[in-house]
Amino acid sequence: MSRDLGAAPGPRRAPVAFGRWAVPRLFDELQRPDSSSRHEALESLCDLMRDPERLYQTVNGGFLEQLKVLLADDDASVRRETVELLHLLCGHSVGRQALLASSLLPPLAQLLDDSSSSCRTNVQRVLNRLALLPAGADALLALVPKLMLKLEEEEEEEEEVQVLLLSTLSRCSRLNALPALASDGVSLVGRKLSHRCTSVRREAAAAMMALSVPEDGKRQVCEEEVLPVVVALLQDDDVEVQANAAGVVMYTVVITAGKYQCLDLGVVPVLLHLVSRKEEEEEEDEERRRRRKALVVYSLRALTSLAEAPDGRRLLREQLPLLEERSQAAEKDGDVRRAAQTAVSTVTWTP
Amino acid sequence: MAFHSHIHRDPNGTYTFSSRPRPVENRSKYREAPPEQTQGNYGNIMYDRRVVRGNTYAQQFIPTAAQPDAAEMEMQQEIRRRAIARKRAREQSGPKTPEALQGRQHIDVQTELYLEELSEAIVGTDVDCQTDAFLDRPASPLFIPAKSGTDVETQIEDGELFNFDSEVQPVLEVLVGKTIEQSLLEVLEEEELACLRAQQRAYQELRNIELAEVQRLQEQERRHSEERVHRIAQQKEVLEKEREAAEKIAARAYTQQYLADLVPAVFKSLYSHGYFNDPVEKDIETNFFPWLMAEVNNTLERRYTARQLLDNIIHDVAKERLEGFKEAKSDE
Repeated sequence: MSRDLGAAPGPRRAPVAFGRWAVPRLFDELQRPDSSSRHEALESLCDLMRDPERLYQTVNGGFLEQLKVLLADDDASVRRETVELLHLLCGHSVGRQALLASSLLPPLAQLLDDSSSSCRTNVQRVLNRLALLPAGADALLALVPKLMLKLEEEEEEEEEVQVLLLSTLSRCSRLNALPALASDGVSLVGRKLSHRCTSVRREAAAAMMALSVPEDGKRQVCEEEVLPVVVALLQDDDVEVQANAAGVVMYTVVITAGKYQCLDLGVVPVLLHLVSRKEEEEEEDEERRRRRKALVVYSLRALTSLAEAPDGRRLLREQLPLLEERSQAAEKDGDVRRAAQTAVSTVTWTP
Repeated sequence: MAFHSHIHRDPNGTYTFSSRPRPVENRSKYREAPPEQTQGNYGNIMYDRRVVRGNTYAQQFIPTAAQPDAAEMEMQQEIRRRAIARKRAREQSGPKTPEALQGRQHIDVQTELYLEELSEAIVGTDVDCQTDAFLDRPASPLFIPAKSGTDVETQIEDGELFNFDSEVQPVLEVLVGKTIEQSLLEVLEEEELACLRAQQRAYQELRNIELAEVQRLQEQERRHSEERVHRIAQQKEVLEKEREAAEKIAARAYTQQYLADLVPAVFKSLYSHGYFNDPVEKDIETNFFPWLMAEVNNTLERRYTARQLLDNIIHDVAKERLEGFKEAKSDE
């Protein structure tokens, strides 16, 4: 009842037919050469697409091919509206799959270089949502070099675009990090790690974590001198930034070069501080405790890897009680307990 | 005949008749075939036999009874029959009164008891009327139609009128209920989405953790195996070195031993090869032995020759004997 269109203020919307004719009629209107009517029809369609039933009807009716023509339209606002429509479509799984199945990705990718910035932002949003689906991330892997170029260019632009770009990159890299690494991803993302905006830092750290999973990435992280910045991020204000930075450290110290670099940077006391109980007892909020959990476990894993180096083991043996505290049965969370037990066993291992 | 009239029976039984106005047709005395009558056969109504002329109040009138009795009907039929029979009889009866003579005239005379005045003139009276002087038309009386139908009265009691506050209640409940339901649904959806996201995030974290652990263990394994391989290689090298050393020692010992009796062996060998020559021996060898050998040769030569001779003698003897035997045999 409340989904029916009322006389909403704002730009004029095309009249919507009743029932199942709404969507086809609006698409018919889109065919007309009149630009303003297309704009109105697109506005109405955007409103309608918030309803899952209509979205399903659009996707199944095969109307997506018509949008292809509109993506190459002259009018920037028409392009922007079309991309916004695609953005709404990507909110649902059927829409994402339909978008992948149709041949709309290449024109969409071309719109990345569009002259209108709002259009570009919308394209970024679409790609971001598309990357949520593994098949979508797979399809976007081909676009990763272009996205890296965009990242390089976006020096002074708004943070939202950077956040979206980095988020898309991190999702794609979680699937397969090699294309991003090949396009010199580590240094680019490393530069974003010290951005002033928290969300950019968070997404950059997440991207870096995804990039440091393969062996090649770990080596690059060590070579590119990214670790000092990452270790500095461990003491950031935002929990998620800290967690992501701890993740980067966790992956990087698996290789020997990473271990020694981190030990040189004195990361062990920082991690121990993060792992300690005292700070967590201050957190009462369930939500934040849950977010801290990631941080704690990542730090424990990083410490485990560091304990494999003799220097690290020596340092950690002094701090063993702290780790043991975490591995006791008093610890509510099973994952944390297990991680702490592994850490303890690694520290106390003798050859 | 063209039908101008239209008789129609309604479905609910009423009978309607409608007809277009048409002029009266002239009816001829004799019946003609109906289709041959033309339409132009309209006669003047003034001369139509069917139209009554003149005064109507002194003529015979048709009885108003709708349905005459059967007896009356019979009587009338009888009268008609008799009239026809009389007529026929009168026509058939030949002799009539002869014509009047010249100068005379037949006159009808009444011979009944009571004479009746016969006159053509019909008794009539004059009646006249005169309207009164014009009076004002009185006001038409108020038309009060006769009372028809049943009396009905109504009264609005308390509470029968539309009370907005009570009527709007259910509508309002529905509206508010629907809105809240919708918003609840949306909130539930959002919560579900948040739950899903949280679960996804938890999964991601777990995956990262496990991946890190796996990588660490892999790395550890790799290091260990590398170490192992390295150590094995080292061990092999050590063994190799030891073996080499042992071999060297053995070789040296053997060589020493070998070389120990090398010198006498060399000397012996040289000696045996005649590099150290004893002059007496040499002399004996060079001088004595050839002569000795030659002498031995000669002796053997003589012996051989002697044997040869002997062989020849034996051979000749044998041959003679054989021939002697052959002769002896052939003689038998």
